Amino acid sequence: MNDVIERIGELLSTLQSPDFYEREVAVKELGSFTSNDEAVAGLVMALEDADLGIRELAADFLVKTKGPIASQLLIRFLGNEDIGTRNLAAEVLVRIGKEATPALIEDLATNEDYDVRKFTADILGLIKDERAVEPLVQRLWDENMNVVCSAAEALGEIGSPAAIPGLVAAFEKMEDVRLPAVEALGKIGDKSCLESLYDWLKTDDPMILFAVIEAIGALGNAGSAAQLRPYLEHEDRTIAEAALGAIIDLSRQNEGRIDFELPLDRFVDYLFEGVRKRDPRLTEFTLRRLNHWYGRDVVSHMVDVLDDVEDEALGRLIETLAQIGNSAADMLLEKFAAASPKVKGVILDVFKQVVDENIARALLRYADDEDPDVRQKIAHILGMSGLAEATEVLKGLASDPIGHVRSAAYAALGWLGGEELIEFLCRGLDDKYPDVREAAVGALIIINGQRVVQKFTEDLYHTEVERQRLAVNALGLIGDAAVVPPLINAINHPEAAIRKSAILSLARIREVSDVQPLVVALNDESASVRKAAVTALLQIEGPGRLDECRYLLEDEDVWVRYHVINAVAEYGTADHAELLLRYLDDPQDIIKIAVIKALAELRYVPAVPKLSVLKDERNQDVIDAATRAVRAIQGR
Amino acid sequence: MEIKSRQEGNVTVLNLQGRLDLASGSVLKEEIKKLFEQQRNSVHLNLADVEFINSSGLGALVSIMKEVRLQKGRLTLSNLASYVQEIFDITQLSHIFEIFATEQEALGSYQPVTAN
Repeated sequence: MNDVIERIGELLSTLQSPDFYEREVAVKELGSFTSNDEAVAGLVMALEDADLGIRELAADFLVKTKGPIASQLLIRFLGNEDIGTRNLAAEVLVRIGKEATPALIEDLATNEDYDVRKFTADILGLIKDERAVEPLVQRLWDENMNVVCSAAEALGEIGSPAAIPGLVAAFEKMEDVRLPAVEALGKIGDKSCLESLYDWLKTDDPMILFAVIEAIGALGNAGSAAQLRPYLEHEDRTIAEAALGAIIDLSRQNEGRIDFELPLDRFVDYLFEGVRKRDPRLTEFTLRRLNHWYGRDVVSHMVDVLDDVEDEALGRLIETLAQIGNSAADMLLEKFAAASPKVKGVILDVFKQVVDENIARALLRYADDEDPDVRQKIAHILGMSGLAEATEVLKGLASDPIGHVRSAAYAALGWLGGEELIEFLCRGLDDKYPDVREAAVGALIIINGQRVVQKFTEDLYHTEVERQRLAVNALGLIGDAAVVPPLINAINHPEAAIRKSAILSLARIREVSDVQPLVVALNDESASVRKAAVTALLQIEGPGRLDECRYLLEDEDVWVRYHVINAVAEYGTADHAELLLRYLDDPQDIIKIAVIKALAELRYVPAVPKLSVLKDERNQDVIDAATRAVRAIQGR
Repeated sequence: MEIKSRQEGNVTVLNLQGRLDLASGSVLKEEIKKLFEQQRNSVHLNLADVEFINSSGLGALVSIMKEVRLQKGRLTLSNLASYVQEIFDITQLSHIFEIFATEQEALGSYQPVTAN
C-alpha cells in the first residue's frame, strides 16, 4: 500500500518534468490508479499540461473514473482563467455524465462566481439529468441574468415538464428570460403550457412572437393551427413564414391534417427555398401539395430547384411535372435555354411524356446543344413527336460526332417513318459503332417494305459477317411473309450462324409453305443448325414431323441428341416414348436424365420397370430423376 | 389474336393473346379507337401471351401510341417476352413506350392528379 502511495507521489512529481515523454508515461500510470484520490488529482492537474496530447490523455482517464472526486476537482477548473482548460474540464464533466450531477448541483447552488454558475447550468443541460431540474428552476431567479438564461436553456435540454411552471413564471416576471424560456417550453413539448403560449402570441416583440409560434408548432397540438392561422397574414414575412412552418410541424404530427385552406401562393419562395436547401419538413410538405398546387409561379420554382434536390425529391418533381403535362410546357421551354445539363435532362424527360408537335418544334433550335446527352434526348423526342420538320434536324444529328447521339437520331428517323428515308438510314449500317448500326437496322425494321427487305436480302451476302448477322436478324424481326423466301435461301448460307438464325426466324414466323429446305437442314454440318431445324420443323408443322427427326437420336453431337429427346417429350406420343427406352442405357448421364424426364412427361407406363432399375446407378442425379419419373408416371 | 378487355379504375386493360401482325394489329387499332370514342384514353396492354410480333405488329403499336398522344391519353405495356423485348430494344421503342415488368406495376403508376 505504501509502495503505491510512494509511487503515486513520484508520478505527481514527474508531471512537473520538462520531458514530454516522462509526463506522458506518468499520466498513463496515474490512469491505472484511478481509485486513488491523489492519482485522480494528478490527472486533473494534467489538464493544465502544456501539451494537448497529455491533456486529452488525462481527460480520457478522468472520464473513465466517474468518481465524485474527479467531478469535484474538475468543477474547480470551471473558473479557470484559461479558456482551453475551462472548456476541457467542462467537456470531461459532460462525458462523465450523470455521475457528475450531484457535484454540479452543489456548485450551481453555492458557487459565488456567476460565470461558473452559468457554466455549470450549461453542463447540466448537456448531461440531461432530471435530478437537475429543481436546482435549475431555482436558478431561474438567480441575481445574474446570464445564469437565469442558461438555466432556462438547460431546462429545455432536459425536457422535463416539471420545469414548466418555473419557466412560465420566469417568462411573466422577467423580460430578458422570455426568449430562452419560450424555446425551452417548445423543446419540453408538453401541451400543458399551450394556454400560456397562446396568451404570449399577443406580444409586441417580434423575436418573442417568432419563438412562441415555433414553440406552438413543436408542441404538435392539432387545434393550435387555428391559433396560428391569423399570423399567416402577418405583415412581417419572418413571422408569417414561422407561422406556416409551425402549421407544417403540426400537420406532420397529425397525419397531414389541416382543417383550413393554406394561402400557399404567398409562400412559394419560402417553401421552395426549403426544398432547395433540402429541409426535410418543407420538402415533404411542398412535394405532397404539388399534386394539386401547380400555378405558373409554382412550376417555375419547381424547375429552379431541380438542380439542388436529392434523387427522391427529383423523381417526385419530374413525376409531378409530367402529370401537369402540356400546361407546364411553356414554362419549361422558357427555362430550358438557361438550364444546367442536369435540368435540361429533367425537362426533356418530362417532354418525353407530354410531347406534341409544338414542343417538338420549339426544341428544334436546341438540337445543337453542347451536351451530347441533351442532343440524344432531343433526338428521341423529335422522333416521338411525328413532326415532319424534324427530319432534317435528325439527319443532322445522325452525323453527330458522338455515337449515342447518332444512334438516337437513326432510331428517331425510323419512328418518323417514310420510305424516302430508307436510303439515308442505310448509311447508318456502315457506321463505325455497333449501336449506331443496330439503330439503323431498327429504323429500317419499322419502316419495312419491299426496298428494306431487298436491302437486307443483299446484305445477307455482304463481305462483312457482321452485316450478314444484322441482315438475318433484321429479316427475322421484320417477320412478315416477304422475308420468308430470303430466309429460306439463307438456310444454304455459307455461315452456320446465319443458317441457324434464319431457321429460328422461320420457326417464329411459321408461314412457310415449303419446309423441305428445313428437312435438308437436319443434315447440316453444324450441330446448332441441326438443332434449329428440329425446332423449326416441329413449330411450323407440328408433331407429324417428329419421325423425320428421330434419326438424330443417334446424332454424333450429344446436344443434338439431347435436343431431340426434349422435342420428343414436348411433341411425342407413346410410340415415340418406346423409341427412347434404349437410351436409358446411354453412357452419357445427361442423355439418360433427358430420357427419364421425357418418359415421365409422356407418362409412359411400360418404362417403369427400367426406370426402377436405375436406382442402382452411381450418379445421384440419375437416381433422383428416375425416382421422380416413376412417381409421375404412377400418378403419385 | 385474342383480345380480352377489362376495366381497372380509369385504366382499360387489354390482354393480348397470340400473334401480333398486320391483321391482328389492325384489329387492335380498331379496338383502341373504340375506347377513345368512349373517352377511355388510359390503356394498358398486357403482352404476356403475345408469342410473336413482327414489323407490322410493331407498326400498329407505334400508330396506337401516336393516337394516344393526340388524345392526351396514356399507353403502358407490360410482360414483354424476351423476343418482344429484343425488337423494342433494337428499334429503341423502349424510349417511347412506358414498359413495366408486370401489369400490377403498370397499373400502380396511374396516379390521378387533382385539378388545379
